[in-house]
Amino acid sequence: MSALTPTTSAVGSSNEFARWRTIDIIVVAILAVAFGVVFWAWNAYVWVWLKPFGEPWEYIITGVWVMPAVVAPLIVRKPGAALFAEMVAAIVSVLLGSQWGLDTLLSGFVQGAGAELVFGFVMYRSFGPIVAFIAGAGAGIGEALHDIPVYFPTYGANLQFGIAALEIASGAVIAGIGGWLLVRSLRRTGALQAFPSGR
Amino acid sequence: MSLLPAPIAAVRPDFLTRVTPVARLVAGIAWLVAAIATLDPIVPIRLTIAAIVALVLWSGLPLRRIPRRLAPLGFAILSLTAFSILLSGTNADRSLIAIAEFGPIRLTAPAVSAGLAVGLRVVVIGLTTLLVFGPSDPTRMADSLVQQWRLPDRFAYGTLAALRVAPFMADDWIAIAAARRLRGLQAKSPAARIRDTRDRLLVMLVASIRRAERLALAMDARGFDSGIRRTHFRALRMTWRDWLTIAVGLAVAVASLVLPH
Repeated sequence: MSALTPTTSAVGSSNEFARWRTIDIIVVAILAVAFGVVFWAWNAYVWVWLKPFGEPWEYIITGVWVMPAVVAPLIVRKPGAALFAEMVAAIVSVLLGSQWGLDTLLSGFVQGAGAELVFGFVMYRSFGPIVAFIAGAGAGIGEALHDIPVYFPTYGANLQFGIAALEIASGAVIAGIGGWLLVRSLRRTGALQAFPSGR
Repeated sequence: MSLLPAPIAAVRPDFLTRVTPVARLVAGIAWLVAAIATLDPIVPIRLTIAAIVALVLWSGLPLRRIPRRLAPLGFAILSLTAFSILLSGTNADRSLIAIAEFGPIRLTAPAVSAGLAVGLRVVVIGLTTLLVFGPSDPTRMADSLVQQWRLPDRFAYGTLAALRVAPFMADDWIAIAAARRLRGLQAKSPAARIRDTRDRLLVMLVASIRRAERLALAMDARGFDSGIRRTHFRALRMTWRDWLTIAVGLAVAVASLVLPH
């Protein structure tokens, strides 16, 4: 080993694949902050106008809320990226004053965990559109598991199933496929060259 | 000028500003759990009263700014309450007496009471959030999570560094719009506006990734990833105030659940 080898390689050599470099942490955190800002704008300007128009419009687009959980792992390809990104995005929207407040931390956790399990299932080795689609659906399942007992406990069972189905489909299409397309666009701009996904 | 709202932060030291953030977080989560554990509206009503008392007496927050900040919350509460009552499964139960009927719509007492409980949950969540995050800044929250909950420090401080970038993103957003206008890219139809927003978001994300790369490089140059054990500039220790906050917070949560009507 030359004297120029960074000290970090000694720390990370046991599991270079799972180790997060500073750039991985910062890029995921900053992307999550960007999404957190988008969520805040979404909550404050879009959601409040959509909700009074009634069901089921709101649930068709809930996939927007789980995009970080798909986009971050597709970019950095590290274990924990889905959970970390979704939690940071949740914290940012809380700090900006999301009406869901503290509860965003709970929903962010289950949404991130839903996507994380899917990427974990393929051992963080496959990041194509199909895995992204299923991960988006996984995040949607997490979202439904949180939203139904917390916000829709009084609804009839048919409606609850309907909401769950829409949230899962929305997660799969908007966050899954939409997230995959977004990462493809980012790669084409050359912005991802520091990551395995950009090469 | 920034597009982002200024956070509601403490304007004077008070009891809760001297309490470590994780203690407030534990108490806040206990209230959140209590509020969502039941469909009896008395529980969120009690917690709302407790939260208002704590906000007024101990939070040090600028009370006058709170109502405006909570305006979207008001909207959320109204629509959520209305839909929770209207779409309640118990309305279809013919064995229950309807308290109101308009044509095919019929409302039962349990539906109304449970709907109110769901709406009030959001009130409790909003007020509790102010009590947890308002009295101190994100830096103290990160310090507290790293030192007292042993969260991985690189992730906590990396997030803190990223949070600092949020105002620049809002500036980027405006600059991108100006640049597009200068190049004659103007969206008129609603569909074109959606496409325009999407394109602006992509440019903003690219700018954010570039910024993240520069920031990571600067942090590494200062030994952020040196692997040397981190020491702390602001050492936090649990004091009697922290334990008292946790104890009272948990006691209020339990009491609001179990006290008879």
